[in-house]
Amino acid sequence: MISGWELVIGIEIHAQVKSKSKLFSSSSTEFGSGPNSQVSLVDAAMPGMLPVINKFCVEQAVRSGIGLNAQINKKSIFDRKNYFYQDLPQGYQISQFKDPIVGNGFIEIETDGQSKKVGIERLHLEQDAGKSLHDQDPNLTFVDLNRSGIALMEIVSMPDMKSPEEAVEYVKKVRSILRYLDTCDGNMEQGSLRADVNVSVNKPGDDLGTRCEIKNLNSFKYIHSAIIYEAKRQIKLIESGENIIQETRLYNIDSGETRSMRSKEDAHDYRYFPDPDLLPLILEDNWIKKIRSSIPELPDQKKERFIREYSLSEYDSSVIVSDKSTSDYYEKVVKDRNPKLVTTWVTSELFSVLNKKNLSIDESPISPNHLGELIDNIDSGKISSRQAKEIFEEMCETGESANNIINEKGLSQISDEGELEKLVDNVISSNPENVEKYKNGKDKLFGFFVGEAMKLSKGKANPKVLNELLKSKLNT
Amino acid sequence: MKFDKDSLYKLGKLSKIQIDESKLKSLSSDLGSIIEFIDRLKSIDTENVDPTSNSLDQSLVMREDIASDVNTANEILENAPQKELDFFSVPKVIE
Repeated sequence: MISGWELVIGIEIHAQVKSKSKLFSSSSTEFGSGPNSQVSLVDAAMPGMLPVINKFCVEQAVRSGIGLNAQINKKSIFDRKNYFYQDLPQGYQISQFKDPIVGNGFIEIETDGQSKKVGIERLHLEQDAGKSLHDQDPNLTFVDLNRSGIALMEIVSMPDMKSPEEAVEYVKKVRSILRYLDTCDGNMEQGSLRADVNVSVNKPGDDLGTRCEIKNLNSFKYIHSAIIYEAKRQIKLIESGENIIQETRLYNIDSGETRSMRSKEDAHDYRYFPDPDLLPLILEDNWIKKIRSSIPELPDQKKERFIREYSLSEYDSSVIVSDKSTSDYYEKVVKDRNPKLVTTWVTSELFSVLNKKNLSIDESPISPNHLGELIDNIDSGKISSRQAKEIFEEMCETGESANNIINEKGLSQISDEGELEKLVDNVISSNPENVEKYKNGKDKLFGFFVGEAMKLSKGKANPKVLNELLKSKLNT
Repeated sequence: MKFDKDSLYKLGKLSKIQIDESKLKSLSSDLGSIIEFIDRLKSIDTENVDPTSNSLDQSLVMREDIASDVNTANEILENAPQKELDFFSVPKVIE
């Protein structure tokens, strides 16, 4: 990125478990409810309240661990991470320190067609904190505890990434895997998945530099630009002879800069100790086995299968499988259909409409069935690809099926040779001069005849059949 | 054993407790004796013993993932010293 310097990046991802209730209490986890409406006495840390662990959350952590090719620890322990903050009523976060539920693993990422392994150090379960609102009152901070106690999976990578692009690909891949496993919805805007990024720089051959951690990045774009800003900041400091201080920094999305979080200077003394309210978590072999057997096909496997079964290119396959909903959609359409046609229609026409309207594939105005029907009509030659584009646009606007639009507008293509022959004869007999010129060598006029015949057919003539007919008639 | 002044202030800061100069001596000796008491554990040979996080030979009991909202915002905020629009409110925290 910056010549003469190397970047080392490690990432902690906080992924919210897709559970109905919290990690240690029965409060709902639904997003967007009124302030403090989903808080139990446990979440508010009332005296005497005891945590009871949610089995579903444990299962999702195990599933995610398997999806990250990681070791599942049959015995794990919950610890208290002590710090003082207004959105943490307990005064400690229940987390896992020495004995996490998931140990070493790895995933494969791809940048510029190059595949690379990124190590996973661990995945552990922990509670989320509440939310502080600093901008509602000049003198007060408001606290909403709805998020307090929601289950998070913290996924810690090895410092294996060397560029902002690799960092983004890593987060994308983890998100994709969790979405395939359905353990986290991956909604970054709502904060269901956020990343803390550790960045350091060093000269090639030198020891690793001192790292800084940029907290709470919730979009791929921010991850990318925060890393670039931070690397440049560190290089500038080092080049002017100063030292990097290991610290936590915040990324400002408006200015694109990172700044130091002063309040955290002492916070790293968390005084972890095993939570006396919680016994060790012991997992049975059979249970892990059962979970293992329920793991669905993951993006890497699906990508290979799509290449094999539908002859997709590496690139098209990566694009389609990167999002589970997209691959589900694709597979519904491609079933018993021409994969090449389906790939083109999904990756170019459909994607461009979704992009333009800023919709996710789940919100697509065209259902897989409707797109399939349109493609059937193209494949059978009933409509031309130009007509198909028109019909497609109308489908987007009205949500009508392709067949209905074709019938309503009488749009189907004329492929019948007898009918087209009449048209061709008509064009030839009404343009004797041009026919003469064409026969004398002015073969550019061929397009003129095609155009005339097309006009007569009101655009419905099958261009392939029409061309052949014209050619044979004019050349005799 | 005495708990030194710097450790005492650091602990106070981490716990958001203000430590009065006049209490320094007695606190330091009280905490010192607690630590001395706990330190007696160090004399036990634990060479071949796994770290124990809990003395009960049991595993965590898990509950099913069922959401039930038993407490309303009103109840939760009932004991809050200060509240505003269904939020707890605290003196401004500046990051």
